[in-house]
Amino acid sequence: MAEGTLSPVEERARASVERAPLVAPGRTRGWISDYVSSIVEAKTPRWWWVAISITGTLLLVLIACTTYLVATGVGVWGNNHPVGWAWDITNFVFWIGIGHAGTLISAILFLTRQKWRTSINRAAEAMTLFAVICAAIYPTMHVGRVWMSWFLIPVPNANGIWQNFRSPLMWDAFAVLTYFLVSVLFWYTGLIPDLATLRDRATTKVRKFFYGILALGWRGGNRQWRHYEMAYLLLAGLSTPLVLSVHSVVSFDFAASVIPGWHTTIFPPYFVAGAIFGGFAMVLTILIPARAVYRPLGDLITVSHIDKMCKVLLFTGSIVGYAYLMEMFMAWYSGNPFERATFWYRATGPYWWAYALMILCNVAVPQLLWFRFFRTHVIWVFVIAMFANVGMWFERFVIVATSLTRDFLPSSWGMFHPTWVDIAMFAGTFGLFGTLFLLFIRFLPMICMFEVKAVLPSANPDSGGKL
Amino acid sequence: MSLRPDQKFDYRHVGYGFLAACALSALAFFGLLIGAILDVRQFAFSYLFAFVFFFTISLGALFWVIVHHAVDAEWSVVMRRQLENSACLFSALAVLFIPLVFVAPDLWAWMDPANAGNPVLQEKAAYLNRPFFWGRTLVYFAVFIGSAYLLRAYSVAQDASGSVRCTIYNRRVAFASIVPLALCVTFAAVDWLMSLDWHWFSTIWGVYLFAGAALSSLCVLVLVVTALRSVGYFKGLITEEHYHILGKLLLAFTIFWAYIGFSQYMLIWYANIPEETSYFILRNTGSWNVLSILLVVGHFVVPFLLLLPSLGKRRPGFLCGVAGWILAMHLLDVYLMVLPELHRTGFRPSILDLLAVLAIGSTLVAVFLKALGDSALYPIRDPRLQQSIDLQN
Repeated sequence: MAEGTLSPVEERARASVERAPLVAPGRTRGWISDYVSSIVEAKTPRWWWVAISITGTLLLVLIACTTYLVATGVGVWGNNHPVGWAWDITNFVFWIGIGHAGTLISAILFLTRQKWRTSINRAAEAMTLFAVICAAIYPTMHVGRVWMSWFLIPVPNANGIWQNFRSPLMWDAFAVLTYFLVSVLFWYTGLIPDLATLRDRATTKVRKFFYGILALGWRGGNRQWRHYEMAYLLLAGLSTPLVLSVHSVVSFDFAASVIPGWHTTIFPPYFVAGAIFGGFAMVLTILIPARAVYRPLGDLITVSHIDKMCKVLLFTGSIVGYAYLMEMFMAWYSGNPFERATFWYRATGPYWWAYALMILCNVAVPQLLWFRFFRTHVIWVFVIAMFANVGMWFERFVIVATSLTRDFLPSSWGMFHPTWVDIAMFAGTFGLFGTLFLLFIRFLPMICMFEVKAVLPSANPDSGGKL
Repeated sequence: MSLRPDQKFDYRHVGYGFLAACALSALAFFGLLIGAILDVRQFAFSYLFAFVFFFTISLGALFWVIVHHAVDAEWSVVMRRQLENSACLFSALAVLFIPLVFVAPDLWAWMDPANAGNPVLQEKAAYLNRPFFWGRTLVYFAVFIGSAYLLRAYSVAQDASGSVRCTIYNRRVAFASIVPLALCVTFAAVDWLMSLDWHWFSTIWGVYLFAGAALSSLCVLVLVVTALRSVGYFKGLITEEHYHILGKLLLAFTIFWAYIGFSQYMLIWYANIPEETSYFILRNTGSWNVLSILLVVGHFVVPFLLLLPSLGKRRPGFLCGVAGWILAMHLLDVYLMVLPELHRTGFRPSILDLLAVLAIGSTLVAVFLKALGDSALYPIRDPRLQQSIDLQN
């Protein structure tokens, strides 16, 4: 068919296979540096002070509760017999899961050459670090005698204690510590060229000194870039297995047991998919308001970026739905009366509302994302992401609470009721998370400037401006 | 629109290959028939083993075509037609499934009336009963054949019309196929393989079969594309850049297979519950254990070490060697799913194992060769073809 005689339907089809630009047209390299740096360089806006006073207050609540807990004992939580693990492990898994999206965006999408990651990876990775910090609080407090939590690390000690390498909680300590260390290194390595930009733009001596120290003498020479790219590639390679391993090990905490509802073979990939789902929901939860406050960021984190993240949300949410289905089906198919009873109890027992909420938030609501309308209207995306945040917390609560409240022995059956310390500490971790994130926005460039510049059409003149 | 010689497969390249495949298929089926008369149980298990092996290859190919459209991929356009050709083998596979219908009670012991009184089986009777089982099998094939057929049909239609609408239609078919495909793969894995021992269960089983399928179909793609290149096709179209990506995907799915296999094994071993460990006790005893260890080393350690350095991934010859090796290991993987259920005391090879692979394999090769010449070797008017050819990574 000649070009001039295209039907309107065909023209629409052609238009719809055109790739959306990664950076809004007209935005130049200079503009990117100026705008992203200006967020850090400008006078602290009033909304920031309001926000940090709220999150800071919550952080103080966390500190106060933790002090109270350490001084009094774990009994201040609602944990009881039979529910020895309750909100503490629920919150631990909730927070650690959130981190996974950051690592996926920064490492896996880097290795698979997904150029749309460039404008979101910095903030997502920062979120990873902050979420892991929030997560680490819970198992540390749950050991009871916090001052002995270093016993988890296999170092020679005077008490002749040797760690139980067969315990999944021990593997957790290794997995989470490794994850945190590698993530910090990866994040910091990626920051160096942008820190140098801030140093070079600095107008005050303090700033120049502060960013100068952090930039580690970066000059942007050819040799430095070569070393940088190799280091970044290697760290991405090291981070990639961590996306799988950390949450797989977390799932072993449950699945390596013989508790009905916990012990099932699909747990590792199911937990990983759930973590990525919850993590992407949190990335959207923080980036959408950031885009609203700093409006020109919408030219870097475009609707097309949000659309892509929504697709990941839909995909991982559906995997989680698949896992729910397989758990239910196999519980029935196994013919094991305990498995069957546990799942029947989950869906119809006193925690039925938590189970129903979990299905609604994680499986049903994200199905709206099949429609382009919901993926491209930011308000809707935000609402759906909030559902996913809530749903992922309830998923962990359902797993922990329903299996523990009904023991093999009916005489040990019980219920779990959170105390005010449970609730205040959970709210407090949001304070910690929010405070760290606000500090990050204020002092570090939240968009990876040099990587975004590399995906501008002008950076690839040989391809005729195409990417 | 007539195709240029470099776009259309010329049967002279295979000589009498098509006839040879047909003849081999006839001979092997004749041998299988005699085998079935002599030892029907051995035939049933050998045939299921061979069937599942080839089924997973088509399944993986269908999965990759769906992924291609669903994520609007660019790099894989130039080799997509070969995946479509592999996925279209499902109609042949549906016909090749028919012998299993006749030997079903010898294969799936739960169908045997002698076992009907078993209390565990009675608990599962709502799922494991003949009408539902055959009904499900029909649904699986309907979904696989329907999806593969539509995806290839629109793609071939685009060769003639050049209409971008075909791309949009295929995208819709791909979206609509994702959920049915996932469910069909899972329940097919439960029905055909897990129910060989109706006591045993594992929630990850469907994912495990899928992991092997996605990996082995990539291996077949590497081999097919390289074979076509060796007789002069895809000149300047499929470059070492494409091989590099294929190599990376082979590495990723080698690891994914190992991850899923490890998750299943480790959790069952660690919890040590008798109704779950039976599967692995059987496979970790005596001569079966030797093959199980070979599977771990051959299906994961060896390809992992070979594929990790970037050097080999850009060399077609090297990648073909690795792909062939992984395929052999996938054959072993499926063998270890099926045959231990028959020979519970240890590994006992049978000529029927080989004949079944030859019979189904040569039939599918003949059907594939037919499909190869039916249309262009690659989607010649796909809107993303040029970007796919210009791939850099």
